[in-house]
Amino acid sequence: MKRDRDRGKAEAAVSGGTTSVGKAKMLAEQKQPDAGMDELFAVLGYKVKSSDMADVAEKLEQLEMAMGTTMEDGVSVLSTDTVHYNPSDLSGWVESMLSELSNSCSFEGMIPSQIGISGESSCSRPGQQDGGKIIYDDDLRAIPGGAIFSNNLKDVVDDSESGNKRMRASAGSEFLENGSPMAMAAEAARPVVLVDSQETGVRLVHTLMACAEAVQQENMKLADALVKHVGLLAVSQVGAMRKVATYFAEALARKIYKIYPQDSLESSYSDVLQMHFYETAPYLKFAHFTANQAILEAIAGATRVHVIDFSLKQGMQWPALMQALALRAGGPPAFRLTGIGPPQPDDTDALQEVGWKLAQLAETIGVEFEFRGFVANSLADLDANMLDIRPSNVETVAVNSVFELHRLLARPGAINKVLNSIKAMNPKIVTVVEQEANHNGDVFLDRFNEALHYYSTMFDSLESSGLTPANSHDLVMTEVYLGRQICDVVAYDGPERVERHETLAQWRGRMHSAGFDPVHLGSNAFKQASMLLALFAGGDGYRVEENDGCLMLGWHTRPLITTSAWRLAAAE
Amino acid sequence: MDVLIEILKRLDDRSLGVAACVCRLWCALTRNDALWEHLCFRHLSPPPEGVRTVVVALGGYRRLYTVCVKPVLSRLGKMRVGGAAATELERRVWTRHEVELSLSLFCVDYYERVLLGGGGGSGGGGGRFGGESGSPPSSLMFLCKAVNV
Repeated sequence: MKRDRDRGKAEAAVSGGTTSVGKAKMLAEQKQPDAGMDELFAVLGYKVKSSDMADVAEKLEQLEMAMGTTMEDGVSVLSTDTVHYNPSDLSGWVESMLSELSNSCSFEGMIPSQIGISGESSCSRPGQQDGGKIIYDDDLRAIPGGAIFSNNLKDVVDDSESGNKRMRASAGSEFLENGSPMAMAAEAARPVVLVDSQETGVRLVHTLMACAEAVQQENMKLADALVKHVGLLAVSQVGAMRKVATYFAEALARKIYKIYPQDSLESSYSDVLQMHFYETAPYLKFAHFTANQAILEAIAGATRVHVIDFSLKQGMQWPALMQALALRAGGPPAFRLTGIGPPQPDDTDALQEVGWKLAQLAETIGVEFEFRGFVANSLADLDANMLDIRPSNVETVAVNSVFELHRLLARPGAINKVLNSIKAMNPKIVTVVEQEANHNGDVFLDRFNEALHYYSTMFDSLESSGLTPANSHDLVMTEVYLGRQICDVVAYDGPERVERHETLAQWRGRMHSAGFDPVHLGSNAFKQASMLLALFAGGDGYRVEENDGCLMLGWHTRPLITTSAWRLAAAE
Repeated sequence: MDVLIEILKRLDDRSLGVAACVCRLWCALTRNDALWEHLCFRHLSPPPEGVRTVVVALGGYRRLYTVCVKPVLSRLGKMRVGGAAATELERRVWTRHEVELSLSLFCVDYYERVLLGGGGGSGGGGGRFGGESGSPPSSLMFLCKAVNV
C-alpha cells in the first residue's frame, strides 16, 4: 500500500532528517523569543518568525503550485512519491533539501509531469525505495536558512499537540494576532507528514479548522494555502477520515474560490444518490419505518386514508405501509397517496411512474389505491386547496416529510407558509424526519464545526457497518450523496444553501409556535426500529434513543436523524 | 407421496435444501410453497388472515423464508440466545413484531425487485441461499451478510 511505502521512506528519511537537525542548529540563528512567532503557525506545529515569512511564502507558493499541477485521481503524484519528513523539523527539512540539491539533477528518472513548471526542474534520487524522490531546486535555495528554524523538535511537537488540544476544545479564535498571514499559509502548504498517521490525523483536523477560521475572517489567501495543505494531509489518511477531509476540503475550496454550481444537479440524479444512501445505511429505513408506524397508529380505524408525501422520490416508504394496511385487522382502508416532487429537466413524469408502480403493488396485495402527483419547485408554492383534501369525516389525512422541511429555511417566510398549509390540510398526523444537527447557524465557523462532527460520525458509521465491501458502487454513491450535502452546508449561502439542518429542539420550537402538538411515537415504533437496527450487520454501533416521544437514530453517542410526529394543537 | 410430504413438513430449512438435491421429483416437491408456509409459521399461532394472499402475491413463502424470515430469526435469535446452534432455529417462536418486520421487508423486496427493476440490486448476496431464489435487491442486502458473532 502506498502508505506503507511512504512510511517506509519516511522512516528512512527521518534518520536523515534528524542528522540534519544538528546541522540546522548550527546554521540557525539565535532563537528568538516567542513574541516573534506566528501563533497560527504554532498551532500547526511550526515555529516561524513572522518577519521572515513573506519571502519564504512566495517561494513556497510557487512550489506548491508545482505540486498542485500534478494531480492524478485527485491525489498529487508528489505526495505519494515524495519523501516525507517530520513536519516540525522545518530547518532539517530545508537543510536536507538543500543538501540534496547539491547532488541534484545528475540522476536519471525525471518525472515528465514535473518538467516545465515555471522553469523548475525536478529530479529523482535512486537509493530510495521505489518511487524516488522529488525535490525542488531554485525555490528552496532562495529560502534564507535562518528564516525558518525549529526549536527542540520534541518540544515543538509536544507543545503544539497539547496546544492544539487546548485550542481544539475552545475552538476559539485566538489566532491571527499578527499580520502577514499569507506567508505562513504558504509555508504550511508543504508536502509533509506520514511520520505518524495519528499525528497526521490530528493535524488534519486542525488544519481544517484553521482554514475555516481563515474563511470566517475573510482571509482568503491563508485559507487558500491551508486548504491545499488539507488536501495533502488527507491523502495520507485512510478510510472515513480521508473521505470526510477530502469533501470538506473541496467544499472549503469552493467557498474560497467562490465556485458555485451553475445549475443544481438533476433531481433524478439526486434521487439515485438517495437510493444508494437508502441501501447502504439504515438511516432512511429507520425513518420510513418509524414514520409509517406513527401513521399506522394515527389512522387506526379509518376507512379512507390520504397520505401527502412531501418528497416522493422513488416511493420507498410506501410499500411497507401498504403491506401493513393490507394485513390490518378488519381489512385495508382505501389508500390515496399524493406525491410531491421537483420538476424533471427532461420533462418525464417521474412522479407518475412511481405512482404507477405503487399502484401495481397495491393491486398485488389487494389495497384500493389512488395516486396523484404534484410537481413543485418548492413546497411553499403549494396550497392546501390544490391537493383535493376531502372532509375529515370522509378521509383521514396524514402528512409526511422526510428531509424536506429544512430546505424551506433558505427562503424567509417559506417555512411558516408551509406549516400553515399543513394546518389547512387538517391532518390527523404529521410525521417529520430531519437530520439531527444545527447546520443553520449564522456564524460560518460554528456551522463548519458542527458539520465536521456530524459528517465524520456519519462516514464513520458507513465505514464500520461492514455492510458493503469497501468502495463498492453503493458506498461510493452514498458518499457522493453526503458530499453534496457537505458542499451545500459549507460552501453555499443565501438561497443556494438548502441543507439547513436544525436540531430537534429547534424544530420543536417551530412546530409549537406554529400550532402543533407532539404525538409520542409508541413502543411499537421503538421495538420495530430496534429490531431493524439489530438486523444490520455490524449494527452494534447504531443506537435508537427515545427523546420525549421522538425517536433518534445515531452512531454510538451521536444522534444523527430524528423522527417526530405532530398533530394540530387542540383548540383552546 | 403424502407420506413423503408429511416427512418433508417436519424438516428444517437446511434439510429441505438437501432433500431438493436428491432427485427431480423431490426437488419439485420441496418447492411446494405450502411446505415453506408450514416452515415459516409452524410455531406461530395462526397467522393473521390474509397473510397468505399477500405473501403469495409478493413472491411466495419459500422466498419469504429465504429472503426475510431466516435472516430475521437467525440474526435476532443469535442476539437473544447468544449464539445458539442452527438447529435451534426451527424451535424458536416468532414474535408478532418479527413477523410484521419480516413481512414489511418482504414487501420492500418485492417493490424493489419487481417494480424498480432492481436498479442497484444485483449484487452477489444471493449466494448464501444457493441461488435458488436469486439475489435479493440491494436494500435487503444487509440481511444476507453474516453478523460478526
